[in-house]
Amino acid sequence: MTGIAELPPALWMALAAVLMVVLPKAARAGVAVVVPLVALALLTRLEPGTYLTAGLAGFELVLFEVTKLNFVFGVIFLLISAVAAIYAWHLDDRTQQVAALLYGAGAVGVTFAGDFLSLLIFWELMAVASAWLVFARKTDDSVRAGFRYLMVHFAGGSLLLGGIILHHAQTGSLELTALSPEQGLPAWLILLGVAVNVALPPLHAWLPDAYPRATVTGAIFMSALTTKSAVYVLLVLFAGWDLLIYAGVAMALYGVVYAVLANDIRQILAYHIISQVGYMVAGVGIGTALSMNGAAAHAYSHILYKALLFMGAGAVIQATGKSKLTELGGLARRMKWVLVLFMIGAFSISGFPLFNGFISKSMIVSAAGKAHLDGVMLLLLLASVGTFLHTGLKIPVFTFWGQDRKLETRPIPRNMYVAMGILAFLCTLYGVAPGLLYSMLPFEAEYHPYTAYHLVETVPLLTFTFIGFWVLREKLAGEPYLAVDTDWFYRRSAPWADRLLVGPVNACFAAGAALRGRVVAFVERIWGNPRAWFRPGRGASETFDPDAERKPLAWSLAAILFFSVVLSLLLYFGR
Amino acid sequence: MKPLHWILLALPTLGALALQLFGPEHPYPKPWDKIPLFYAAFGFVGCVLIIIVSKALGKAFLQKPEDYYDRDR
Repeated sequence: MTGIAELPPALWMALAAVLMVVLPKAARAGVAVVVPLVALALLTRLEPGTYLTAGLAGFELVLFEVTKLNFVFGVIFLLISAVAAIYAWHLDDRTQQVAALLYGAGAVGVTFAGDFLSLLIFWELMAVASAWLVFARKTDDSVRAGFRYLMVHFAGGSLLLGGIILHHAQTGSLELTALSPEQGLPAWLILLGVAVNVALPPLHAWLPDAYPRATVTGAIFMSALTTKSAVYVLLVLFAGWDLLIYAGVAMALYGVVYAVLANDIRQILAYHIISQVGYMVAGVGIGTALSMNGAAAHAYSHILYKALLFMGAGAVIQATGKSKLTELGGLARRMKWVLVLFMIGAFSISGFPLFNGFISKSMIVSAAGKAHLDGVMLLLLLASVGTFLHTGLKIPVFTFWGQDRKLETRPIPRNMYVAMGILAFLCTLYGVAPGLLYSMLPFEAEYHPYTAYHLVETVPLLTFTFIGFWVLREKLAGEPYLAVDTDWFYRRSAPWADRLLVGPVNACFAAGAALRGRVVAFVERIWGNPRAWFRPGRGASETFDPDAERKPLAWSLAAILFFSVVLSLLLYFGR
Repeated sequence: MKPLHWILLALPTLGALALQLFGPEHPYPKPWDKIPLFYAAFGFVGCVLIIIVSKALGKAFLQKPEDYYDRDR
């Protein structure tokens, strides 16, 4: 069995994606659930080590390498791929099912890659496959958003590739090892490329742009894989970069501000991905064993509760066809179980004791405090106020209570409840038994979440956030506006870029076509009918006119005959 | 909210206060740990600030009509 286990999980996922192309509907749903679980079961049998290398164009690639750090990420990526596939069980859409598996293959490929080149290949696979989960919504709005998403990720991939090329030129190695700011341009280019996927403002706008426009089921995969695989890469390459502490704090608060303004429920959740990933980025930046364990643990927890929240929001969209707070309201009685399951996700992300957000978020906050970064600690606590405010209060209050808009609800497939139930169970399980998660963490750092001072910190904070919300709740109702973000630069400038870059090229081609037309007309006029040469001034005629054309024809034939004879004689005697 | 709800909110707060005053010392204490119910005030003020500052930013710069990006098509 170990022989089979040594095949990379990305291969299993990619093979499943290929199978999807030919399998009938009934089998596809099963394969999408079972294959990630099989890959997960095989992965757990492996000890850290290198399992698959390959040569490509003279480069030695490490395609499958297990470390204590990438193991945690691999486990959660495979687990969430299986649960998201349960949520999508009812789907009869081959494109999405293939795309989701390839996307998962990309994510675990990045996670277990041991060199820069394999990492880049899987990185690009993720970008392309995930874009299909946006396209698959098949609305004009989604297709446009999908192309914006794809272009931003290609730009990010190019930065990464540029950095990798320079890094290889500098060091002569493609091995994935920690980078330092002193390495200059290569390291910074790689950081920029990874920053796109980690959704670091101002390079983040693809996330709240595309995620709310993805399909109901596709958004689950997206919420889990792209940003967290980038967090993993940050942990490997950029641990302890001070800049990331402040970048992370900025992310945590940036998402909070925009979540106040957002109206679409999945966009609010999307902005809170940025906020939550901010904690992880700060954890990477602090660079202590505790903070980096915190980043890995928080990625693990975050994937579980964020997928659950996206599933809850997706269930609301599936049932009502609406996604904006200004169009939702009063669903509590009709969607009781969705509400209950959503709230478990909301308590988790808000860091309520006994749920899994508490056991991982508090690690990063404590690590900041322990490293004497008091300002960072307080700002991260402020961000968690915002998290509870939006995900725990704004979304559920205005979706499930608020103004009852008498929406018609279609029943949602049972498999959606099953998937949400599994995640709600896991969110609670890890919250109650944090040791299950802590035992997987890569670094040596002792931590106990359920201590008196953590409760002193968390309980009044959340209670009074609720009171603050209650006092100002009317201000938080959704408003029918959009909030411009940094995608403004490429969305508003698109018409100008069009005029500047596409316009001249088009004008050039148009001028070329006009010139070609004139040349053709000229040639046709001159050469189109050689008979016209013989009757100057009278123009060409389609029919033979003996009076006009017999004489010149006779003369020219006689001339040809004469010169042929003369030429033959000259050639014969001239030898 | 009914009085009962406020009492339910007061209970965990008082519990946290008791823990803060009589519970074990923080292993790496912060200056603000001595202020009773600091985190309650922090949560309330933070919540109010987040709402007011974000809304002000939205009104001043960020909020646009929903068809803002569709006009150039």
